[in-house]
Amino acid sequence: MKVPISVTVNERQHELLIDPRLTLVYLLRENLGLTGAHVGCATGNCGACAVRLDGRTVKSCSILAADVSGSSITTIEGLSSSARDLHPIQQAFVENQGLQCGFCTPGMVLSTLQLLEQNPDPTEDEVRHAISGNLCRCTGYQFVVQSILAAAEKVRAGAPA
Amino acid sequence: MSYVGQSIPMLTNAQLVAGKGTFTDDVQLPGMTFMAVLRSPYAHARIRSIDTAAAEALPGVLAVVTGQEILENTNPIPETYDTAAVGARGVEWYSLCIDRARYVGEAVAAVVAEDRFAAYEALDLIEVDYEELPAVTDPVAAMEEGSPLVEPSWGTNVMASRDIRLGDPDAAFAEADGVVEGVVSSARITGAAIEPRGCVASWDPYKEILTFWDSTQAPHAVRMYLAKTLGMADTSIRVIQPHVGGAFGLKLPTFQEEPLCAYMAMKLGRPVKWIETRAENLLVGGHARDTSFRYQAAYRSDGELIGIRLDVIADIGVPSALCGWGMSFVTWYCLPCVYKCQNSETHLRSVVTNKCPWNAYRGYGKDAASLLMERIMDHIARETGLDRTEVRFRNFVQPDEFPYSQVSGAMLDSGNYPGALRKVMDMIGYEDFPALKEQALAEGRRIGLGIAMELTPEGCSMPGSLMLNGTDSTEVRVTPNGNVIVLTGVTSPGSGNETGIAQIVADGLGCDIARISVVQGDTESCPWGFGNYSSRSIIIGGSAAGVAAKDINDKMRKVAAGMLEIAEDDLDQVDEAFVVRGAAERRVEFADVAREVYSNPHGKNMEGIEPMLQSVRQWKQGNVYHQPEKQGRFSAYPSWPYGAAAAIVEVDPESGHVRILRYCLVEDAGTIVNPLLADANLHGGIAQGIGGAMYEQIAYDEAGQSLTATFMDYTLPTAVELPTLELGHQATPAPFTPLGTKGVGESGVGGALGALCSAIEDALPEIDMQLTALPLSPSRIWAAIQDARAREGAPA
Repeated sequence: MKVPISVTVNERQHELLIDPRLTLVYLLRENLGLTGAHVGCATGNCGACAVRLDGRTVKSCSILAADVSGSSITTIEGLSSSARDLHPIQQAFVENQGLQCGFCTPGMVLSTLQLLEQNPDPTEDEVRHAISGNLCRCTGYQFVVQSILAAAEKVRAGAPA
Repeated sequence: MSYVGQSIPMLTNAQLVAGKGTFTDDVQLPGMTFMAVLRSPYAHARIRSIDTAAAEALPGVLAVVTGQEILENTNPIPETYDTAAVGARGVEWYSLCIDRARYVGEAVAAVVAEDRFAAYEALDLIEVDYEELPAVTDPVAAMEEGSPLVEPSWGTNVMASRDIRLGDPDAAFAEADGVVEGVVSSARITGAAIEPRGCVASWDPYKEILTFWDSTQAPHAVRMYLAKTLGMADTSIRVIQPHVGGAFGLKLPTFQEEPLCAYMAMKLGRPVKWIETRAENLLVGGHARDTSFRYQAAYRSDGELIGIRLDVIADIGVPSALCGWGMSFVTWYCLPCVYKCQNSETHLRSVVTNKCPWNAYRGYGKDAASLLMERIMDHIARETGLDRTEVRFRNFVQPDEFPYSQVSGAMLDSGNYPGALRKVMDMIGYEDFPALKEQALAEGRRIGLGIAMELTPEGCSMPGSLMLNGTDSTEVRVTPNGNVIVLTGVTSPGSGNETGIAQIVADGLGCDIARISVVQGDTESCPWGFGNYSSRSIIIGGSAAGVAAKDINDKMRKVAAGMLEIAEDDLDQVDEAFVVRGAAERRVEFADVAREVYSNPHGKNMEGIEPMLQSVRQWKQGNVYHQPEKQGRFSAYPSWPYGAAAAIVEVDPESGHVRILRYCLVEDAGTIVNPLLADANLHGGIAQGIGGAMYEQIAYDEAGQSLTATFMDYTLPTAVELPTLELGHQATPAPFTPLGTKGVGESGVGGALGALCSAIEDALPEIDMQLTALPLSPSRIWAAIQDARAREGAPA
């Protein structure tokens, strides 16, 4: 049994017939080839699968694809088109070495996007709480936090967020 | 300008931050199928029979495989260590259990299906008739007479045992002013890289080539081990390491699923993907560190440690082909770490239990050694009334004593231990802390300061091992257009060594780093190498890269001198140009020289010079001793980075909750190629050290059922638990590497364990509390406080 869904992903409209057991992360990764959202736990703990769903950052491993019909989704792939036009948050992560292996990074970037929309001038403590749903095993979060503070500065200085 | 020493962000950053890396699960091939693994629900059970008919009948299922088929068609997975050579018991470990499952999660059967859904659904339809057998999960109980046996053919649960007596411990204990004794135990933990393990296998039945993508650290080793397991030529296998989402030792080969996936792809003639779930990762992805030490330490009244007696029990889980159990030997081998004590007696036992096998994990036993020694130092300070730092200063190997021959045979290469401790004391404000503590107490807050040293030998080279080896190779090629390709046998698990290697090559060639591309992790294009572990990529792969770059630079200088019609001695290199010394306007560009080499091999500038600009060079580490009969010692580690850690914590004595207020580490990893990336690695090491000290524990119940199969139970520190990490550096260049590099990939882990124990105890000085077991969870600290209070309240 398949169910029809209609979703907009990175501003492109898709009409799909899917297995009702399919979670959003696998819809993106396997049906649409957008592999930037990663699966680190599939239990909603690690945040590597984060995407934007109707303007909110969510963990796509814990959402059924069939439930998002009619929604608009932005994935990490929607934030840039080349190394030369990175989003200012991504640029801040690159400059401040806010990543190592890069597996958790798309989720970190999208949690940052949500944070800065709500709070353009966060304290370090607020940054730490904002990414407490994103697990990273490489960085000790130190350069991630620095990257986010630098990103906030870029965005406040007028870089398009 | 020199690139070595500069903070250059990782060359892979832009791709990864855009979500455009290619991790193993991102590999998609036409006709891809999916493999799922059925795992034992019992800690120990005989497999009477397996009925796969219903699973095979499920639409979408392509094949179901059980142990009998694996036994008939494959070989056991080769051991990483030659167990017989080191006096340990060996095991035949196949890709699936044959007739007995030895721990919860061991692979019993596998399904390959058209998609994930069918594969997982089919697992539920496989009927296994198990006969549950008695299991043993406690290593002490496992050594008792009549214990259930993990490997009945051994007749014992002790896989390896060593009694080592060095110096004259009896005399030391006889002349000691005092002896402290106690037990220290470190928790069972795991690396939990955010990317789980996974692999993709694709068989070309016409070329008869197996292409194997693997989230691994050692592609060449995987190729060799797959070839042995599958009974084919290693040259018929190409292993590709895509981006790896963290590894930390736990992605060293070979696990059961790797040959299993390859076997199924060859059987079906279809590409097969296997991706580990998080639960599988925590159940079967390799465990580490679970060691208990019963110690006696003899000291003089001035704090000098003069003798150690140790009973070490390592709970290594079931025996496997993985290299993890060797950690228990390395723990002993590091002792007494940064201190001088030439008299010791150690009884070391590596005990098997019905739990997940050990695999290598960041620290590789060095962390547990540091924990033990730092607990002993604190214990001596407590008994003698000396300051904790004073006891350490009293016992350090001194800077003018290197190279220092440690009692185990280890040859510590270089360092300044007292310097590092003084530096970290300055950073944390050791002298002013009592006033700060007083002030906090007045506010009703209990704060404490702890310190600890760590010793983290790197570049491991084990005799007889085809995986843990102190050699590697790197090829540097300059193209006719003057661009540079570096192919190396060392790999990156996401730690940035490709950037460091590019820096070394750019310096060696005198070219812009933008010309350089680094290729790693492909057995078809890269020279033979042992991959990434023991912080070897820069010290060994980087050294090979430097030598290869020098070969090419030597040739380019000769050709440039010919082009400029000067003697080579009159040549300088400035900003990508070869110039006449003292007349820099007479110059030839880097790319022009490259073109000359390729375009005029028979011309005057190439007379007597071998054509092309390509060099593959090998590097073998010095300061490694594998011939004890001739060299008088055995030592597997060439370089010995160390550090001094200091932490300030706040403890709530009513709940046992601990908050880390400050954390400082002074690290000496010799010459640093890239300070930014070295710091990044240190941050990660400290975070994993703190995680293992405070938050993480793989737990089993008495029946051997795992209690920690999700990230809700196995709790990694988040950004909220971790403080800002303050780093200080000290650089004593390694005498045995060309650049003086020592390796920085495991540093920061070991110091955290002792420093946090020490800090928590220091917060509550009125309570005679000794923390002896990790993790330092609120419940454990609360219990330790209650125990201490009860002891004090008890009549004398």
